[in-house]
Amino acid sequence: MNKIYNIHTVWLMLVLLTLLTYGLSYIDANDTVIMLILMVVALTKGVMIIRDYMELKGVSLLWKIIMYGWITVVSLAIVVAYLLV
Amino acid sequence: MKKYPKPIPGDLAMWIIIFAELLVFGIFFIAYAVVRINNVDMFNDSQLTLNRETGAINTILLITASYFVVMAIHALKNNTTKKSSRYLYAAIASGSLFILIKTLEFHDKMSAGIDIGTNTFYMFYFLLTLFHYFHVILGLMILFVVALKTQKGHYNANQTHAMETAGSYWHMVDLVWIIMFPLIYVIR
Repeated sequence: MNKIYNIHTVWLMLVLLTLLTYGLSYIDANDTVIMLILMVVALTKGVMIIRDYMELKGVSLLWKIIMYGWITVVSLAIVVAYLLV
Repeated sequence: MKKYPKPIPGDLAMWIIIFAELLVFGIFFIAYAVVRINNVDMFNDSQLTLNRETGAINTILLITASYFVVMAIHALKNNTTKKSSRYLYAAIASGSLFILIKTLEFHDKMSAGIDIGTNTFYMFYFLLTLFHYFHVILGLMILFVVALKTQKGHYNANQTHAMETAGSYWHMVDLVWIIMFPLIYVIR
């Protein structure tokens, strides 16, 4: 972590991304593009929590594969299911 | 010189529990998205009855609670145990507010005659959010025990294992909600 990217700014970014999700909920969210943006935002927040809150940066590869793998597989499966409609 | 990976934060047993929990929640999330394919209108109409404001506030509360937990661990590593326990109590306060708001939301729905049997969307809504709700309560109980012990001086900069274990569980609860909020409350 550095001067700009630190635990305080991570918290701020997570809050701002949550407000973005909330704001997008009032745009016609039936749109595929909106759905994709919302899922990318959720994925980004998840990666920040795993990396910076859980402090998994630098731990063994197995842990990273399980955690990042979980959030990626779940997000992708949701996107695919929504695109199938 | 070979660079070895740093040890995982907290207890291995807790991480096994975290992986199991994530697997269960992940299956629920995917099941929600798959069942929705054949019930899009019902899911979208029901979703619009949910309170997005409380959903967003609750997300910020969990994110903030997690931030306080990280700060508590950092404070303990710096041997400032009083500061560390104060951060943990701040995290508990944020998490408790989440529980209060969620309880009011459940009460609101049930007062309107909506329950787990109303339709498939609400079956998922109650199942997923109630399951998560109980995890938040368990997380709060774990944090409370660790906060008390920290306050009494049981932990220091060389004994961060218990707090890291509790923190890892709490962050898992946060991580699950990060997917649950857009999935249940927002994405149509």
